Amino acid sequence: MKPFTPAHGGAVAVAELDLDERMVVARIIADVGLLLSGESFGMEIPVHEDVEDEVFRHLRGLEEALADPTDPAVLRLLPNAAPTDREVADEFRRLTEADLRSLKVARLRRMWEQLSEDGPEWEVPADEALSTAAALTDVRLVLASRLGIATDDDAERLYEELAFASSAMAGEDTAGSPLVNPERVWLGMLYQALTYLQESLVSFMASEEPRD
Amino acid sequence: MSTDERHQEEGAVATRTADAWVTIVWNDPVNLMSYVTHVFQTYFGFSRHEAEARMREVHEKGKSVVSTGGREQMEVDVQAMHSYGLWATMQRAGE
Repeated sequence: MKPFTPAHGGAVAVAELDLDERMVVARIIADVGLLLSGESFGMEIPVHEDVEDEVFRHLRGLEEALADPTDPAVLRLLPNAAPTDREVADEFRRLTEADLRSLKVARLRRMWEQLSEDGPEWEVPADEALSTAAALTDVRLVLASRLGIATDDDAERLYEELAFASSAMAGEDTAGSPLVNPERVWLGMLYQALTYLQESLVSFMASEEPRD
Repeated sequence: MSTDERHQEEGAVATRTADAWVTIVWNDPVNLMSYVTHVFQTYFGFSRHEAEARMREVHEKGKSVVSTGGREQMEVDVQAMHSYGLWATMQRAGE
């Protein structure tokens, strides 16, 4: 994986991901899209043809429209806008949630399509850099929620665990260190990789912006 | 609020329309400092210096008031912050 760097005189930012990396990143992007919309971006998901189920699903959707999402990861993408004022929070959700969902899903889909093209380069036009960075944020927020990262200390602990895991993989003596959970390490490494990509994309944007 | 409701509340109208609300951005462990700074610059039109000061306030003090105005404008600002993945809320000023 190579981070985003400017190309074509700053008209695009280009990163490089090998085939495995692209598949993993595209998959997690599609998973987040699925969480937000029920759309799978062409990935295989089970389809329920039962009409009655379909009707009930839509009815449930209406009933739940004003409620906070129950999945903490989705709640992090569509937060409560006024935790101490139910009326303000409900009104905000009623006015904005559908638009926010569709904007986020459109950005995720665009990123997924770019990663589904052939070749190792991931090209992001300069005028799409911010929406791509926003979509990367949403994916990182979902991963962080799944990893239980709620505070800066939790994030620090994850980095320590990952450092330990890579030492263990390198065959170093790791006696007395915390146990490694392979799934957590895998998700954590994906989180770190996306953080690294986002950092480089934000650096690209900062280098392109006019000086004060 | 509809025009009819405004008329019914008469006395409340003056204070209601003058009501100041604020948008608050809260610290979280996921958003990158460089990204938050860039979002503040791009969306609110802050200078780099101002955007960095707000970002540091979020990071070090846990939150920062990033905009002030009527309720509808704050809804627009909070929606924008949520679109960028920032954790934002709105409330009446002074609460």
